Amino acid sequence: MSPFDRRAFLKKLGAISAATAATSVAEGMMVPAGALQPPDRQPAVTWKKAPCRLCGVGCGLLIGLENGRAVAVKGDPDSPVSKGLACAKGYYSVQALYGADRIKRAMVRQGGKLTEVPLSKALDLVAARLQETGQKHGKDSVAIYGSAQWTVPDAYLAAKLFKGALGTNNVETSSRLYAASAMAGLQSSFGLDGAIGCYDDIDQADVFVLWDINLAETDPVLFSRMLERRRVDPAVRIIDLAPRLSRTSYAADHSLLHVPHAALAIANAICNEIVTRKWAHRSFIADHIAFKRGKTGIGTGVDADGLLVDEPTAATWDDYVRFLAASDPDQVQQISGLAAASIRWLASLYGDPLRKVMSIWGRNVNQDVRGTWTNNAIYNIHLLVGKVASPGNSPFCTTGQPSGGCAVHDAGSLTDTLASGTVQNQGDRQHAADVWGIPAEKIDPRPGAPLLSMFRRLERGDIRFLWILATDPMLSLPNLDRYRRAATKGDHFIVVSEAYPTPATEVADVVLPAAIWLEREGIYGNAERRLQHFDAIVAPPGDALGDTWQLIEVARRLGFEKLFPYESKAAVEQIWEEYGRFHADPRSQLPTIADLRAQRGVMWPYVGARETRWRYNPRHDPAAEATHGDYDFYGHPDHRAWIWLRPYEPAAETPDEAYPFWLTTGAVLEQWGGGAMTQRIPTLHHALPHAYVEINDEDAANLGIRNHETVRLVSRRGSLEIEARINYRSQPPRGQLFAPCFDENHPVQRLTLDACCPISGQPDASKCAVRVERLTGRSGP
Amino acid sequence: MTASSRNLSGALLGLFLIASAVVAVIALRVGVKRALAPPPPGTAPLSIPLVTAPAEPIQAEEQVFRTAPGVLAIPPNEPRERQAHPRTVKTYRFIRAFPGAPPRIPHALRPDEFRTAACRTCHQRGGYSLRFAAYVPVTPHPERGICLQCHLGEDSLMAVPVPAMDPNLRCPQCHGSGGVPRAAATLTWPTSVWPTIPSTTEGEFPPPIPHSLQFRENCLTCHSGPSAVAQIRTSHPERADCRTCHLTAGTDTLPFVRPTASGVLQTGSVP
Repeated sequence: MSPFDRRAFLKKLGAISAATAATSVAEGMMVPAGALQPPDRQPAVTWKKAPCRLCGVGCGLLIGLENGRAVAVKGDPDSPVSKGLACAKGYYSVQALYGADRIKRAMVRQGGKLTEVPLSKALDLVAARLQETGQKHGKDSVAIYGSAQWTVPDAYLAAKLFKGALGTNNVETSSRLYAASAMAGLQSSFGLDGAIGCYDDIDQADVFVLWDINLAETDPVLFSRMLERRRVDPAVRIIDLAPRLSRTSYAADHSLLHVPHAALAIANAICNEIVTRKWAHRSFIADHIAFKRGKTGIGTGVDADGLLVDEPTAATWDDYVRFLAASDPDQVQQISGLAAASIRWLASLYGDPLRKVMSIWGRNVNQDVRGTWTNNAIYNIHLLVGKVASPGNSPFCTTGQPSGGCAVHDAGSLTDTLASGTVQNQGDRQHAADVWGIPAEKIDPRPGAPLLSMFRRLERGDIRFLWILATDPMLSLPNLDRYRRAATKGDHFIVVSEAYPTPATEVADVVLPAAIWLEREGIYGNAERRLQHFDAIVAPPGDALGDTWQLIEVARRLGFEKLFPYESKAAVEQIWEEYGRFHADPRSQLPTIADLRAQRGVMWPYVGARETRWRYNPRHDPAAEATHGDYDFYGHPDHRAWIWLRPYEPAAETPDEAYPFWLTTGAVLEQWGGGAMTQRIPTLHHALPHAYVEINDEDAANLGIRNHETVRLVSRRGSLEIEARINYRSQPPRGQLFAPCFDENHPVQRLTLDACCPISGQPDASKCAVRVERLTGRSGP
Repeated sequence: MTASSRNLSGALLGLFLIASAVVAVIALRVGVKRALAPPPPGTAPLSIPLVTAPAEPIQAEEQVFRTAPGVLAIPPNEPRERQAHPRTVKTYRFIRAFPGAPPRIPHALRPDEFRTAACRTCHQRGGYSLRFAAYVPVTPHPERGICLQCHLGEDSLMAVPVPAMDPNLRCPQCHGSGGVPRAAATLTWPTSVWPTIPSTTEGEFPPPIPHSLQFRENCLTCHSGPSAVAQIRTSHPERADCRTCHLTAGTDTLPFVRPTASGVLQTGSVP
């Protein structure tokens, strides 16, 4: 080969290898891969990562900033949660910062009206009243009701102030309202809170069973991931097990309908069938399962003051088989309205050793008088067939709140919890006292008032100071009018920290302007235990201040500077480091702020710079010991998961002659929570401006109700006039109605019943019995 | 081996093979049966009646998850066969009298096609039509069979003003054998105001749906594939749940109004 040819040959070789790194955009045209991304058309926009503010999925977003304002949103392609996707709420979420009626100044109620005052004066007043009330009426006359929308530092400081400094356990968050049964279920079945698996299970499962969850509207991006899984593998089956046909049903492969409150019975029937057909994984059970009975006939929590403490007694496999005999699919068909053949078919999917099954559920299962038991029963199915704690085999409960999955309760912000452990446990109290530098006797060993009890004590006058932050109990509590009356009558002082006027600010004596989301630094924890950090990237308007600093400012005014020594620039980092001392153990170890900044969130436990994606599995979880075999359920002292024998017990209220319809309520895609933020976002508001009640078309015909007609719904607690829709978005079967609960102009919780699960304290807020009246006064047959 | 024992072992082998085959078939059938569709609901007497779903699904909810077969058969980023007759917003609007109008048929029909309305042979699946040298638009409502009830062709009296002759029109489409020149417009028809998507920063927000969903519930038939109007072709046709991100632009243009202060705390009916 001549030198010329050789040089040309080498050059060509170079060109070819460069070309292989390039990409074809059109025939004959090659460009380097990096040049495919068009340059930003508006170079003035910078992009910062943040987890979404709305819902519990915790999508990663990129927030576009220009001139100090958030102006755009992109899905973050590097987010392991959302992989570049978002839902309509996420895309428009930044507009929630700029609503016209944003609260920018503190307000104090004078002469019945809220008038603006300087923030420092308002904080002084809050601290003064808090101190005064505690001195006059006892330490348990004060309470704080925060939120699963709190960041972890918010929750941690609230617990530290009230439990550590003031010595009262009257600390609660909206986790109680939305997720308590999930927590109690995990606690009783596995001994520890926190999801067992993670979202990666969606990418691996062969069968999805959705237990009464309209995933398309409650967790849209998880729904998208699930559909993507099926697109990639068309053998995947999605089964929607629910009381009505929803948007999720239209995408599912099969819709199996049942009456509300039947999930527990159906789960037991599935276990019955698994045992009958000998699909139970006997060696897994022998090695890793213990059977327990608990208390039965536990009531419905109406007017209960505290949480029921369950008493486990040991049982055997034979006891369990005998117990299941009452849940034969034919009998459960009578209770649930779901055909026995369908129950048997579901059991066959769970029992098929070749298929990985993921069960997904959420609020509708949890908000039930037997919410904890139903969680146990769904875990039982997976435990019976050994499909748990491994990729794709996943009983998974979602959460609807950005920090309701794993963060808020872990920070000690529920009545019975501490930042690690419980108030009842002496060792846990001592640990908290050591970290905080206070005498251990300061922490009260008796749990405080869980949510409904807290408001009942307010009603009775036992609680006289209540601080509500980032949630709206004056819209979301069941039997709403009772608690609205409690909040407006009587001699008490209510402080509300909020960003927009809501029904809660209506009852406030002091309103503190809250900074939202990107206006302050924080950390959220989503349903798969992923902690995600966000910086303050836009300035809060006016005097608005984040809840973290509101709590610090009040604590300092109460004289607790030493307990709240945080510096203004580094507060979150310092709080996080302190909180981390509670979790220096592979079962719950936390990442540092630096870890969180560098990555798109990190799942806890975070041990040796690795996330724990599947717990209790020695292959994936450093806290699990291989000496116990393939699984180590270290949450319980016997290193076993527990199958609880939970019988079906009826609902607190079922339809009857006077109130013949089930009314169920829940979320819709476009609006979130009580609408405080999403109603101020024009696109979302216009897409779904107000609530409605969906009625079956045959029922409507029988009642003479036409589409768009305003009807009156009446329950034993109250009544509500609302627009009827037929075949709008979901189709309730005969005898059922559905109305979303985001709309303060149509507060559906006026109709519901304040029963709760006695074990978890979670209110049964998503269903009740109603009748439908036409406004001419005539009611249904 | 003796002949008889060979026969015996042969017979046993045969028996074994048959038995295995039978077991395999049974296992397959049982396995398949276990795995496939759920059996129909039972009919035993009940204290709670079986909960049954309404018979007709909601079109606007269901159709978004249905892809007409063949719409995605030709990936949109493959080289086009021909570039003539690209469908654009301009040609789209040209054959619609107003936003939401059923498009008129912009091509000639043979008499037998007119009589039998055999439109679906092309418009159900789309694809490239040699006859018209264009990609065929796909109907979002193939279940409706009487096409000519709404979609009128060149012989119609539904005279739409033709502001300018489309240079891509082929003469035989109007002046084909037996065809007549289009009647002069005798109608004063206001210029339609077509819905537009509000422009957003960087175009990053997923655009809302500016049209009614009636008859247009299946997004992919119009927004993907080579026959899609170029300006509205989606970059991500493989995603099944369009309405998770793309919202309908509501007709309620009033901003959010809170209840009055006294209204919140009223017990009883909301005014």
